[in-house]
Amino acid sequence: MTTARSLSAALSAPAASAASAASGPPSDLAAGLPLAVVGVSHRTAPVEIRERLAFGADEGNQALLELRGIAGVEEAILLSTCNRTEFYLFPALDRRGLAAAEALFQDRIRDVSLPAADYLFRRQGEGVVRHLFQVSSGLDSMVTGEAEIQGQVRDAYARALELPADPPMAGPVLHRLFQMALSVGGQVRSETAIGEGTASVASVAVELARKIFGSLRGKRVLVLGAGATAELMVEALARDGVRGVFVANRTLERATPLAERLHGHALTIDRLAEALPAVDIVLSSTSAPHPVLTTEIFREAFPRGRRRPFLLIDVAVPRDIDPRLGEEPEVFLYNVDDLQKIVDEHVRIRAGAIPAAEAIIREHADAFRQWYSTLEVIPVIRTMRDQAEAYRQQELERLLRGMDHLTPEDRARLEAFSKRLLNKVLHEPTTRLRQGVADGGGTELVEAARFLYGASEEPRNGD
Amino acid sequence: MIHILTFALYALGFALWLRLLAGGARTKGATLASVVVGLAVGTHAIALGRFWLQYGELPLVGPGAAFSSLAFVGGVTLLLLIPARQVARVGVALLPFILICQGTALLLGVKPSGQVLAFQGVGFVLHVTFAFLGYQALALAAAAGSLYLIQHREIKAKRMSRFFHFIPPLATLDLLGKVGVWIGFVALSLALGFAWAWTLQNPGVLSLGDPKVIWALLSWGVFAVVLLLRRGSSQREYRSAQASVVGFSVIFGSYLVLRLFVDGARFLP
Repeated sequence: MTTARSLSAALSAPAASAASAASGPPSDLAAGLPLAVVGVSHRTAPVEIRERLAFGADEGNQALLELRGIAGVEEAILLSTCNRTEFYLFPALDRRGLAAAEALFQDRIRDVSLPAADYLFRRQGEGVVRHLFQVSSGLDSMVTGEAEIQGQVRDAYARALELPADPPMAGPVLHRLFQMALSVGGQVRSETAIGEGTASVASVAVELARKIFGSLRGKRVLVLGAGATAELMVEALARDGVRGVFVANRTLERATPLAERLHGHALTIDRLAEALPAVDIVLSSTSAPHPVLTTEIFREAFPRGRRRPFLLIDVAVPRDIDPRLGEEPEVFLYNVDDLQKIVDEHVRIRAGAIPAAEAIIREHADAFRQWYSTLEVIPVIRTMRDQAEAYRQQELERLLRGMDHLTPEDRARLEAFSKRLLNKVLHEPTTRLRQGVADGGGTELVEAARFLYGASEEPRNGD
Repeated sequence: MIHILTFALYALGFALWLRLLAGGARTKGATLASVVVGLAVGTHAIALGRFWLQYGELPLVGPGAAFSSLAFVGGVTLLLLIPARQVARVGVALLPFILICQGTALLLGVKPSGQVLAFQGVGFVLHVTFAFLGYQALALAAAAGSLYLIQHREIKAKRMSRFFHFIPPLATLDLLGKVGVWIGFVALSLALGFAWAWTLQNPGVLSLGDPKVIWALLSWGVFAVVLLLRRGSSQREYRSAQASVVGFSVIFGSYLVLRLFVDGARFLP
């Protein structure tokens, strides 16, 4: 929970001193796109710091409510995952919004000798758009191209929407930004190789199993030993529907704890030949100095050869499974080096896809900027139309005042005529104004329009 | 003209499947490939329907018309697989056979047989239809079998290549092969039964020494062997895949040999 002291200190700090804490020239915030993000990620802080700066769901909601209203911040979203905690703010008209968010982080550390600012990154303007698009595309993830972040971005947006705040915390600008981020993430994944293959040993094992057995529902797995990697793999397989789990170890006492954790059955290694025909997958990670699953045991288990495919994954060093078993028909044997080689290859392919992904991100960041720039012109257009409408009503009233002989039908016809005329006259300048701003005409064009139509500056919104 | 359009659409569908294969795991374009195959089958149905209306006979007799109908059965089979998205990727191996059939039909000309009187009646129509279904089911089993062998080799060689990502799982391909061979066996058995009944109605039209009778019995024997191999004790799935590919090659290889060395007019597909 943020203390009133830290927030008020941040708020009372002069803009200049707050600016010195943030990177980039101060003008970045005021001009163009007044978006800002401040946060911590696996790129800027080790896990010991990240876990201290993480926000629980309720704490995150509270933090967003506290940020609202600070230095004009109207919209805020918190993206919090195990690898990142980021506050997205709009509009960030000066540094005070960022400083307030930084104060929230500092408050979580509860140790003045450890400045949170040293671990934080900040982006402003278009940098925020590119950053979020990179995040949702998996380019900023620890494992490049991982897909989980897409769901986490969606959840962050949904949480902000659900917050009881009026107007909503995810207002029109952040709504558009996050929706585009999700769409960009999907496009990058479908049009580039950024998500090709799997990038962890456990997920490669699952992918292999899927390509051999199709659905893993009802398949049985035998775990040899009690290694952490094998346990991770079983958990991943279980998520895919693997049900029967057998854990074999030298003694039942050693096998039982893991078997209980995995809701499986414990057995001793001397019953291996008996168990093998009943399973489809073997995961091995014992610390035995010699092979545990030998060709002799295999022959005893399958005297006439294996009928159906058999996946053997050996992540132990030294190896637990006799490598000659890999030559047996229907046996697919992978050791830890084989799996790692596949992971490395996938990582290489994903890295090669980054330029194509960046190109998609640039294209959509430009589209967002164009969309935002058209918002600037909306108040001018509204003023222009309101003024013209007022003139129309005024003149129509004056005209009709001296024409009492007209029937209601004639009056309605005149009214419709005046509306059509007004729409025709305004159509061209309205369209050109929108187009000009979208094409980069920006501030000068808007200023010219304001001058011409006598429109005063109004706050921007995305309605 | 419409038969050429059909061929072009099948060829485009095949090219799109190849593009998907080149793209590895990414599936963008699968919908387009499916739509093109759907258009090809729709156009093909119109073409065959027009043939029926124009000549007053079903396109079952005469090499060109029969090959086109065989290709059509293949197209419909593939279309039925499309909803099961991953399974539909077997199209990359099935479409070449469909293209060969339709291409041969174009080369030979899709025209009436001129033997309408001898080859008519419900029994004959059912005989040819079940025969087409049987051969196309074996073609499907062979397509699934060939992909099974490639996928098996990729996994055994520890390669997660484009083929690995594109080709469906081994278990799926095995199931497809099994279903294909069983449907093919039953369909061909029915086809032979209807043929026997038809010869009883039209005595003297066919003899046991007729090349197409020999070929039909050989085909039935191949199916039976493929099914027997599925019951083997070791490497059951792998051997079944091999048997489907070899069986399919034997049937269509022997067909070509008989076509080359026997009077083409007597040997109808």
